[in-house]
Amino acid sequence: MGDNHRGQVVLFIRDALREGAIIWWRFVDWLALVEWRQLGIIWVLAIVGMGMLNTPEPAVWFVFISFGVKVLAGGKRKAEVEARQAGVKANVANLEKQLAQAQMAALQAQVEPHFLFNTLALIGQLIETNPPEAARVHAHLIDYLRATLPQLRARGGGTLGKQAEMAKAYLAIMQARMKERLKVKFVIPMFLESAPFPPMMLQSLIENAIKHGLEPKIAGGTITVRAHVVDATLHVDVCDDGIGINLHAPDGVGLANIRERLALLYGGAAELVMEPPPGGGCCASIRLPYSMMENA
Amino acid sequence: MTTALIADDEAPMRDQLRARLQAVWPALDIVAEAANGNDAVALAQQHQPDIVFLDIRMPGMTGIEAARHLYSRCHIVFVTAYDQYALDAFEQGAMDYLLKPVSADRLARTCERLRARLAAPPQDIGAQLAQLAQVLQQAAPAKPAYLRWIQAQVGGNLRMVSTREVLFFQSDEKYTRVQTATAELLIRKTLKELADELDPDEFWRIHRSTLVRVDAIVEVTKDMRGRQMVRLRGHKEELEISRNHTHLFQQM
Repeated sequence: MGDNHRGQVVLFIRDALREGAIIWWRFVDWLALVEWRQLGIIWVLAIVGMGMLNTPEPAVWFVFISFGVKVLAGGKRKAEVEARQAGVKANVANLEKQLAQAQMAALQAQVEPHFLFNTLALIGQLIETNPPEAARVHAHLIDYLRATLPQLRARGGGTLGKQAEMAKAYLAIMQARMKERLKVKFVIPMFLESAPFPPMMLQSLIENAIKHGLEPKIAGGTITVRAHVVDATLHVDVCDDGIGINLHAPDGVGLANIRERLALLYGGAAELVMEPPPGGGCCASIRLPYSMMENA
Repeated sequence: MTTALIADDEAPMRDQLRARLQAVWPALDIVAEAANGNDAVALAQQHQPDIVFLDIRMPGMTGIEAARHLYSRCHIVFVTAYDQYALDAFEQGAMDYLLKPVSADRLARTCERLRARLAAPPQDIGAQLAQLAQVLQQAAPAKPAYLRWIQAQVGGNLRMVSTREVLFFQSDEKYTRVQTATAELLIRKTLKELADELDPDEFWRIHRSTLVRVDAIVEVTKDMRGRQMVRLRGHKEELEISRNHTHLFQQM
């Protein structure tokens, strides 16, 4: 019975000490982080307050102890606390980065099933009517899929040169379907081919130009892909002389997707700009910070 | 001799249909090919074919529109990529149609039916066509045409800003200020005009001088003076909700 009682007392004291220690360390943390000016105000208030109660002694002790702790342990403790906060922040940033990467993968993984179906049907037609053309379109389709399907995508595919190659394969397939209604022009200087450029964006803009610009136009037209550097910004423009943007047609998933990915990758440093040229049609321009090599 | 016209905007598709028709119906004379709806109507008037094979999705006039010009003078066969709405309508209207890619069997059956029908005048499919045009229009998003792009002058160039990029519009004496996540533009269109033309589910008027993008709103708070303020995703500035618009946020 007595043993039990003593045991409870020991337990109670241990708890009290633990709580006390926690409160003490919180107090130290607070002291370490609080600004001198604020602390000074608290001192004055404490002395004045306690002075009015005619017991200024505890206030003086408080000032004395807190001054001592802040001067002796403040710097080190402050550094520790800040390091811990930075660690938490870094974890959050890391998680955010992983989340962004996962979102990115989801956004990239989109080959239009219609396109695949139509191209296979086209190859079927050409096998009957024009076998050499069928073989050519077939080869372009393989190039296109190799660059598009995430499972097959070679590492380092994120350069402007690679993206342009893939866009050319896609356009060659579309030309086999649209014939003289689709003309294509690429103006990309050699030195820009190694510049990093996110995958599937150029592709998406070209799909839009065909679908909304040229396909609805009886005479068809020309798609011009142009890359140039303005100050430290890489501009990649996809222009068509098609029917132009319908002010009342909502922008599709493609453009929203590009904007979202640019924001994830570059924050506010990149943008997608739509500028209709004076002659009609549409120019879509992706502008992002220019660097010469990947990871440069 | 029976004559026919093929209309499809894709040349390989026309080539294939021509080759298959020659195989299953060697006596059929294909007198013309058209690459769009307008040409199809013009060439059909010129050549007076007995049968017209019409792709539905073509630039200019669609296959359906072309058919409305032609159905009284010739037999129409629609050729279409898979589209459930159109197929249902074809079935209901007992119209002839081929599904892309055209299979030889199916084409042979269609040709047999056409041969049997040629003696009689073309069926009157005017009513079915009108219905089909309606069905296809409904299949496409039938939302009223709200303004989706804002045109703004930026450094001498005309720029098009998708309304999806816009966080809010604010009238600013002479101009209207357009705020996106990355840029601030000025346009001449008044807030009144914008409020009339924009999708009311996309932008809400929260103040005499402010239209705000609904899904950019993160939070509505009260400031120290008791005004309700809207906070937006990715933007520092807070926007005031005027008293007669506070009802918009009562449920929140």
